[in-house]
Amino acid sequence: MLSSDQEDLRLLRESARTLFERAGGSGRARKLRDASGGWDSDMIGELAGAGVFGVTVPEANGGLGMGLAAGGVIAEEVGRVIAPEPVVLTIGLSLGLLRRLRPDHPKMEQLINGETNLAVAWQERGPGGAPADATCRYVDGKLTGNKAWVVGAAGSHGFLVVAEGGAGPVLVLTEATAAGLSVDKRVQADGSSLGELSFSGTPAEQLAEGSAVQDALTEAISDATALAAAELVGLSQRAFEITLDYIKTREQFDKPIGSFQVIQHRAVDLNVMLEVAQACVREVLAQMDCETVPKIRARLASRAKARAVTAAKKITRDAIQLHGAVGYTDEFEIGLYLNRALVLSAWLGDDAYHRRIWLDAREEEGAAQ
Amino acid sequence: MTDWNAMSDAEFRKEVHQFFETEYPEELRHLPHRPKFAEIEHWHRKLHAKGWVAPAWPAEYGGMGLNAAKLLIFYEEQQRGGVNRGRDMGVQMVGPLIIKFGTQKQKDYWLPRILSCEDIWCQGYSEPGAGSDLANLRTRAEFDGDDFVINGQKIWTTMAHDATHIFMLVRTDPNAPKKQQGISFLLAPMDQPGVDVRTITTLSGETEFCEVFFDNARTPRENLVGELNKGWSMAKALLSFERIFIGSPGLAQNALGQLESFARGRGAFDDPVFRDRFAQAALDVEDHAALYARFADQLRRGETLGADVSMLKIWVTECFQRITELMIEAAGPDGGTVGPLQVGNVNVDVLASFYKARPTTIYGGSNEIQRNILSKAVLGLPD
Repeated sequence: MLSSDQEDLRLLRESARTLFERAGGSGRARKLRDASGGWDSDMIGELAGAGVFGVTVPEANGGLGMGLAAGGVIAEEVGRVIAPEPVVLTIGLSLGLLRRLRPDHPKMEQLINGETNLAVAWQERGPGGAPADATCRYVDGKLTGNKAWVVGAAGSHGFLVVAEGGAGPVLVLTEATAAGLSVDKRVQADGSSLGELSFSGTPAEQLAEGSAVQDALTEAISDATALAAAELVGLSQRAFEITLDYIKTREQFDKPIGSFQVIQHRAVDLNVMLEVAQACVREVLAQMDCETVPKIRARLASRAKARAVTAAKKITRDAIQLHGAVGYTDEFEIGLYLNRALVLSAWLGDDAYHRRIWLDAREEEGAAQ
Repeated sequence: MTDWNAMSDAEFRKEVHQFFETEYPEELRHLPHRPKFAEIEHWHRKLHAKGWVAPAWPAEYGGMGLNAAKLLIFYEEQQRGGVNRGRDMGVQMVGPLIIKFGTQKQKDYWLPRILSCEDIWCQGYSEPGAGSDLANLRTRAEFDGDDFVINGQKIWTTMAHDATHIFMLVRTDPNAPKKQQGISFLLAPMDQPGVDVRTITTLSGETEFCEVFFDNARTPRENLVGELNKGWSMAKALLSFERIFIGSPGLAQNALGQLESFARGRGAFDDPVFRDRFAQAALDVEDHAALYARFADQLRRGETLGADVSMLKIWVTECFQRITELMIEAAGPDGGTVGPLQVGNVNVDVLASFYKARPTTIYGGSNEIQRNILSKAVLGLPD
């Protein structure tokens, strides 16, 4: 017998899978990539109709109030069909910030209903190109400075920006069409883009200020990191299934290549990697739902992302090898998974980064005890 | 009689933990070698008096009658406390077989003697030509009056030099059409002229494995367990629980703890390369535990485990090996030194851990055999 929580998650998984499969699975992702590299606004509407964006928002604020474990179920399904819609971005970051800082704001409802998409900008690029301390300022209702690595910048109606205010950090909202804002697109491996934002006296509405902003940002990043890990697990799972089908049917030397022991053992290793990653990420999401200490939640999220990236990298790269030459063509489905894995791995920190963060946090907790 | 299964998991864990914590002799904790019976006899007597020698056996045969979930907790606590399993081949292997397939007379005679360790058992399965391909075994048993006469050789027989009896798979029908057929399960006394035991010295210098030679050795006909020529499927039927236990996180977790205290003492955590490799190992252990918990939950819900449980063994044994290899790296120039290395107030025997990890990927079905099983039974890959 499954507990009722698990039964809820199972139903959620089924309906999300049906929705994505009916829409065309990974074939839809290819069409969108070839068209413009954006997402499909009809799909946003369908996802909103299914309650996807508000899954972790409390019911009192118009959401489903189901927690990160449910968010992870949806993210896994997004990953399976490599859907380009901003699902983890919205659940984890935009609504993650707003529900903690401004649950009363009208943008909450619009995000949940799929009427608007907001990208979140907090990182900045230093002179050497690497991440640097924030210098973008918000004075007298206007933003000045730069933000980098903004996911979903190209299709969003506006931006939630964390900037330096007069008394500590502020969270402000600016429209995509605001004066003095320019967006430079950097094309990613999967056809999506990251935005480099430049503000010069751009008008923006202040939503929150002070240490609460930093705290909410930390929590939202933890949520998004763990959900991105779940997206990678779903992606890895589907990439593995595609590869398994391929090695069962592709014949060489008059036999399916999956009958050769060296191929079988590699397939088993990918399968074990996948199962460990899935168990880890699902356990982490459930634990994060019960955990209230932000530092511990961040450490858990790092554990999930470190594992998911390790698995996704290994699985998608070996998948190409097991496909042989056709795996290197754009025409075959498997390459889409490799490319999406590259982008999701780099977003919010890769495996090496998160192992470092995880070990530091573990030591800090150990020393505090 | 206590109904352990009626307790909550937490209560039961506490009870088991407490007993091992207070009653187990400190000098026997985390023994680096397999003890002879004399070394742990005192502990065995305590366990016997408590009625805890056979946690998995039904209560009517003198066991604790634990269900799979409680059993897992029992073994987890045993491993965590560094409590030696003792000479448990009788309890783990022969007893369950006799309970399932034996006659009433066999049960009445053998089971109490297993519990009291009046008989100490060793397992005669592997042969020089029958390792991973166990069904290839050639040791013969033939009828001669009221006896079987046994001829052949067993190898890797753990602690045969400290055993009174051997349970074995022998070939009783050499003309059977398939090699898995014609194999029987037989019990035999070791103390007789036709049985010769020679110890094998391992890489770590221990002598826990033996070769056992049978030269017209004899055992009464009534020592056949189950049907003649049906031994193979009987022996396989017992492996289901062993398959999750052999993939449990204990060994790797203990080794990780050792690695951490050793490496901290040696200052290895100042090295960013070591830090990353440690983090990888520690996460490998933690994430394996998450997968293990998934299988344990399956048992808790009363489901039978599928062949996919083999992945636990593959992951945890290879992870265990990497951890002990990291210990050697952290030891630097002391990495080849035999015996305990002192760091601060802890002693770590780096090489002993390294050696202990090596056979884990070989025994219980080598990891290559496990991969064969997974590729066929779970992934459905073709022949």
